[in-house]
Amino acid sequence: MSWFIFKRLTSLIPILFGVSLITFILLHLIPGDPAVAYLRASHIPPTNETVAALRVELGLNKPLYVQYFGWLGKVLQLDLGMSYVSNNSVWEEIVVHFFPTVQLTFASLILIVVISLPIGMISAIYKGKFVDQFSRIAAFVSVSMPTFWFGFLLIYFLSVKLDLFPVLGRGTLAHLVLPSLTLAFTYIGTYMRLLRASMLGNLNEPFVVYARVRGLRQRLIVIRHVLKMSLLPMITGLGMSFGNMLSGAVIVETIFSWPGMGQLFVTSILNQDYPMIQGCVLFMGVIFVVCNLLVDLTYSFLDPRIRWEGEK
Amino acid sequence: MFIKRSNLFHSFVGLLVIFTILVTGCSNTTIDQENTLDNEKQKVVTFSWPGDIGDLNPHTYFPNEFFSQAMVYESLVYYGKGGEIQPWLAESWDISKDGKEYVFHLRKDVEFSDGSVFNAAIVKKNFDTILDNRKQHEWVGLINQIKDTKIIDEYTIKLILNNAYYPTLQELTYIRPLRFVGEAAFPDSQNTFKDGLKSQIGTGPWVLSEYKKNEFAVFKRNEHYWGTKPKVDKVVVKVITDGESRVLAFEKKELDFIFGNGVISQDSFQFLKNSGQYETKLSEPTATRTLLLNSNREATKDLKVRLALQHAFNKQAVIDKIFYGMEKKADTLFPPILPYTKINIEPYEYDAEKAKMLLDEAGWKQVKGKPFREKDGKELQLELLFNSTDNIQKSIAEFTQGDFRKLGIDVKLTSQETNTFWTTAFQGKFDLLFTATWSVPFDPHSYLASMTTNSENGSPDYNAQLGLPVKKEIDQKIKKVLLTTDEEDRKILYSDILTTLHEQAIYLPISYQSNIAVYQKNISGVDFLPQEAEVPLTSIDVN
Repeated sequence: MSWFIFKRLTSLIPILFGVSLITFILLHLIPGDPAVAYLRASHIPPTNETVAALRVELGLNKPLYVQYFGWLGKVLQLDLGMSYVSNNSVWEEIVVHFFPTVQLTFASLILIVVISLPIGMISAIYKGKFVDQFSRIAAFVSVSMPTFWFGFLLIYFLSVKLDLFPVLGRGTLAHLVLPSLTLAFTYIGTYMRLLRASMLGNLNEPFVVYARVRGLRQRLIVIRHVLKMSLLPMITGLGMSFGNMLSGAVIVETIFSWPGMGQLFVTSILNQDYPMIQGCVLFMGVIFVVCNLLVDLTYSFLDPRIRWEGEK
Repeated sequence: MFIKRSNLFHSFVGLLVIFTILVTGCSNTTIDQENTLDNEKQKVVTFSWPGDIGDLNPHTYFPNEFFSQAMVYESLVYYGKGGEIQPWLAESWDISKDGKEYVFHLRKDVEFSDGSVFNAAIVKKNFDTILDNRKQHEWVGLINQIKDTKIIDEYTIKLILNNAYYPTLQELTYIRPLRFVGEAAFPDSQNTFKDGLKSQIGTGPWVLSEYKKNEFAVFKRNEHYWGTKPKVDKVVVKVITDGESRVLAFEKKELDFIFGNGVISQDSFQFLKNSGQYETKLSEPTATRTLLLNSNREATKDLKVRLALQHAFNKQAVIDKIFYGMEKKADTLFPPILPYTKINIEPYEYDAEKAKMLLDEAGWKQVKGKPFREKDGKELQLELLFNSTDNIQKSIAEFTQGDFRKLGIDVKLTSQETNTFWTTAFQGKFDLLFTATWSVPFDPHSYLASMTTNSENGSPDYNAQLGLPVKKEIDQKIKKVLLTTDEEDRKILYSDILTTLHEQAIYLPISYQSNIAVYQKNISGVDFLPQEAEVPLTSIDVN
């Protein structure tokens, strides 16, 4: 297993190199100049002189390969560079923004599991009954409703009208409820139905028939055997969604003024803040790969039939 | 094993426990809780801003916000109503006859927020650090004109200029970079532009007391302040990026007021106004929303076509339907309440028939069975460039497309994201472009000065004016007006420049933008300050 983990972690190197190179090339294909973008944002008329001075200051006057390898060299020394806009270290900015996002994502992930797991399970057991029909409609609503709209509905009814939660900001548990629910909402429907489908498939497996023959109670069969097996696709999905949520929570972060990675990333793109964009992409790349690795590890625990090559 | 057989439910419960630990463990004292406690003792007002206040350095730019810099730092002179220059940190000033020397007599009762003295030495030190980075501040005309600064005595300082530059006082009112930090704020290198500040020490009415990046900033009253002290003890600025969320937070009374330009949608403003539960106000015009017609393109090179477009554009309909009557109709490039901008011209009124006639005269004729006018077998197609993130521009663009079609003009809409939009604009690749003047204190002189700069990235106005037969003449007059010491000459020159631009029909002013203010009924003293970016925090009170 340690060999497997080592192999996966070393595979990070070419992946991240590729990701950073592609990002770098794509960034430089975008029309516009970061120096001009900065000056515009500062309300400074970008004349030839101001643009030239800023380009020298930011090192944008150097050839592209010099810029890229200069950046790469620093990254190898764990220095992600300085933001063009805030003049702060990219690494510090990422750390500051990453924690709120992790908080939001974890809370959402737990809400997804806590809500979709029992409903998915019950719908599978009571297939075709009222609960199942209800969950089908709920899942339909969940996947079709735009996130921003659901967020505003929550704010309007639960916060403005009923005064149960603060509208926005960050700090207490109450601040976390609406944004995490909004972020979780779309995923809940998906995982509810995913678990239901997977459980229905497993309920017809020979081992279930055998368990019944052994005289085990239905509850025990479902929880001890079927559910565990059926969790596999859900865990794969959640692992992917976790990465998605970490990097793609921008709408929720905007609506609830949640100072996370999504906002940092989008603002950096709008400002053409190259070092910040590169830093964020690289960081997210690591997160994605690590999430996938964790999913694979969890797999083997849940299903003993799945083994790593190294252990064969 | 990760999940033991009978432990599945335990794991499920465990998740709930982690959730609770996670959210409670990450909790900290919130600004709201603190405010509730504070409110009992102190007067606090809360408002929001779309971005973080930045590092609060008056000598640098983005991500610093104008409004927050103006709260903490002050200038030698103040831009008063109607453009009148008023004493501020300087109580008086003398200008030499040749207009090249400005002597400022500083107030003697000014202290920085740390109790240190404000005097000629610190003014010189601030000027020196700004001038050390001249290149970065090159856009401020005055910076290029300052030859030297001299301390006359403890409270008198002299600015020596290369030329008699009339907007000197106007540019000294700018929120950045010519404002002052205290001695203790200087970094070891003494270069505030390159190395930032050690701490945020200014002479202004507010002091930053608490700050969480991208979340909130709390300003308390500066107890050393020399001027009229603010009525409230604290100002909380919450970062709210989304306009609709801002409205909801305001409705829930998490915000005391909403202030600014474009901070909420026109619909939301109208909704809050009509609800009758809140107070609303609209400022005098600050800047002009205009369409820039490119005289360097095939069709719009012709003055008759440009005149036709002026008459074809139904401003009133745009104002009624898109702005709900909130913005005032604009007839001139600058609002006439600014210095030197009240000129005697006849506005171009909406007249579709006249527009058709002018197009006919220009050779663009209607062809039977075809929707668009043609000249030498070519259809009359105009490219209108707009910023995809600006919903107002998009609405006006779509309205114009539909309206101009009736006259046989095919308007091709090109929507681009901000940076690409400006790149295309600078390259002059448009027939019509959305633009706006810069508002006071930059208007009219700085905006006009930018038109004369031949620069790839400068002002799109330069390229768009290149097709004008009078371009050279306009540029010369603009350069001359900035160096004229005679007030009468200046008035005549400004009038000439603005009249020529009007006659050349190069700008199609749509409406004058205004600041909005929406506030709870227990808030008083909300008024608009002359500079668009200043928030009236000193006069605001909570009842």
